[in-house]
Amino acid sequence: MASLATNLEAQKEPIHVLETDVVIVGGGVAGCLAALGTTEVGARVVICDKCGLLERAGSVGGGTDHFTAVLEEGPEWDTPEYLMSYMPALLEGVADIEAVERLVQGLKPMVHLLEKLGVDFHDPENPDIPYYRHRAFGMPGAYTINFDGTNFKHIIGRSARRAGAKVLERTMVSDLLMVEGRPRGAVAFHIRTGDVYVILGQAVVIATGDANRLGKNASGHAFDSWHFPYNAGEGRAMALRAGARLANMEFVDSTLSPKGYSTQGLNAFVGGGAHFINALGERFMFKYHPDAERGRRSDIINGFITETREGRGPIYCDCTHLPEDEIRRLVNTLGVDRPALPDFFAQKKIDLTKEPFEVCVTEIASVRGGQPFRGSGVHIDKDACSSTPGIFAGGDCSTTSSGIAGATVMGHIAGMNAAHFALSQPKAKPLTSNEKDQIREMLYRPLRLREGISFHAFEDQVRSIVTDYVGYRREEIRMREGLKMLRTLRSQEDRIKAEDYHGVMRVNEARSIRINAEALAVSAIERKETRDGAAHLRLDYPKTDNENELRIIMVEQIGGELRAISRPTGLNPTPPPKKDIS
Amino acid sequence: MPIVIDPKICREGCTICDYFCPGDIIYRISPKESPVVKYQDECWYCGICADNCPVDAITIVFPENMVNCQTDVRTLMGLPAQNVSRS
Repeated sequence: MASLATNLEAQKEPIHVLETDVVIVGGGVAGCLAALGTTEVGARVVICDKCGLLERAGSVGGGTDHFTAVLEEGPEWDTPEYLMSYMPALLEGVADIEAVERLVQGLKPMVHLLEKLGVDFHDPENPDIPYYRHRAFGMPGAYTINFDGTNFKHIIGRSARRAGAKVLERTMVSDLLMVEGRPRGAVAFHIRTGDVYVILGQAVVIATGDANRLGKNASGHAFDSWHFPYNAGEGRAMALRAGARLANMEFVDSTLSPKGYSTQGLNAFVGGGAHFINALGERFMFKYHPDAERGRRSDIINGFITETREGRGPIYCDCTHLPEDEIRRLVNTLGVDRPALPDFFAQKKIDLTKEPFEVCVTEIASVRGGQPFRGSGVHIDKDACSSTPGIFAGGDCSTTSSGIAGATVMGHIAGMNAAHFALSQPKAKPLTSNEKDQIREMLYRPLRLREGISFHAFEDQVRSIVTDYVGYRREEIRMREGLKMLRTLRSQEDRIKAEDYHGVMRVNEARSIRINAEALAVSAIERKETRDGAAHLRLDYPKTDNENELRIIMVEQIGGELRAISRPTGLNPTPPPKKDIS
Repeated sequence: MPIVIDPKICREGCTICDYFCPGDIIYRISPKESPVVKYQDECWYCGICADNCPVDAITIVFPENMVNCQTDVRTLMGLPAQNVSRS
């Protein structure tokens, strides 16, 4: 039987050329707001996403239940100035404060823009209150709005479509087109039909979310990740190849989850009053944070890892002391974070009222290092512009982010500024047919390979290196060994084979995962201190060093290799006097 | 198999699970036949397909290495395993 690859070799996938002003890579929250920003300025926009439906695309496709905002409703804490006075301390002195300020200033206007689009911020349980708000841990005010955001992504996706964005679904951007250091557009392909899109435009917005599948997990199932596994850091990889810098890549994130299933839900358990206990039956988290289970996530992870390393594992989550009503409420809300979580407990036959269940640390993810308002990824300034003119970024693929709220504000800013930039530039020149043929040839090389390795096998090697050499406990010698291995792995990238167009998508993701891992290693070696609990813990530099390390560590690709550079943040991480942020 | 679709219940012509699956894993190739779970090992176990199925034809089934995970947690921290590694 002739293989699919052989059949595909005989045919030539059609190449469609689209002309626009701005190309948006990724149709999640940041991408859709970028599309709205672009159209507000009057530029043309094409938005590409791997998902089947823009209205469901991205990690918030299933909905949300909260939004962080400063609203200036009256209380002292409810102003951008008040929140900003805490920001250097909240971010431990490592952040691009001008960009963070832009984000914070943009929250209130964003809430009003979203309301105009149709988002209803009322809490169903408190319908008489315009915004039902609570104080998230560590924040100096009740900035979190609780609301029923089941249709949140549907509304903003539909709005982007109605605003005139041309939408390409099931379409992956494989790379940016660059001419003399400026964007000329992007190359994309349909992950089912194989149709190739050459999208010509003068500016690009990268909005591809965080990077997952980076480290080993308990189940050994690669796509069993805490965050959205289909976000594999592709936008960051594209940015590096286009000459733009990444930053904050040394900070990693993870959570505690029922062992065997990496999932959201930690907040629901600790919020409901659950305790963590070790194998000796001790409630141990007080050793790691005065607020125990309600401490920062990076401190909770640190506690879990230390207990396990010192032989006091397994660690359990215990709800048995909770009133039955609270357990019932907890069980009823588990599916909000992950619809299949109640099924998992049912199949495990766990009765939360009767017994604790074992928890485990999830795989390493590159998101925010446990900090709000500071992300890892494409380094952006207050205008959401990367270090390469014409390339903008927003959301969790970038360095100034704060979940959904951050993605809306910075995505919108990225879209508007990309539009202004695009309209100020000469139109991108069309490609010759020879250039187009070369693009298709490069894109589909993994399909034409007769022999090669699977993306699974390639990625497994990356995950092992990250976990074993640049994981939760870091030291220079091990990390240098790991970095060397990650660089050696690059030579295998051309051998990753795909069986179909969907597989080409996975090959691109696998390559992105490797370069994200390399950026992580380069940055983690450069930061010679421990900071933010488990987000960056060095065994050889166990203390936080505010004398020398209050700096942003960036990586750039020079001659095919990543190298680190840095600049001081100029921030003082001491909290404002007489104010309590715990 | 992570996603089990009951062909007796599945509604003819409906493509919600195909379109909503964030990983491009479920394919409804023919309107008369049940959707196919084409890339089982790429499932996130999010449950969006089951949650949105209008006739509740979908069940999420967790595999043994998730429900009864035997991995030595230490191996996720760069340490050698102490116990028997995962089954």
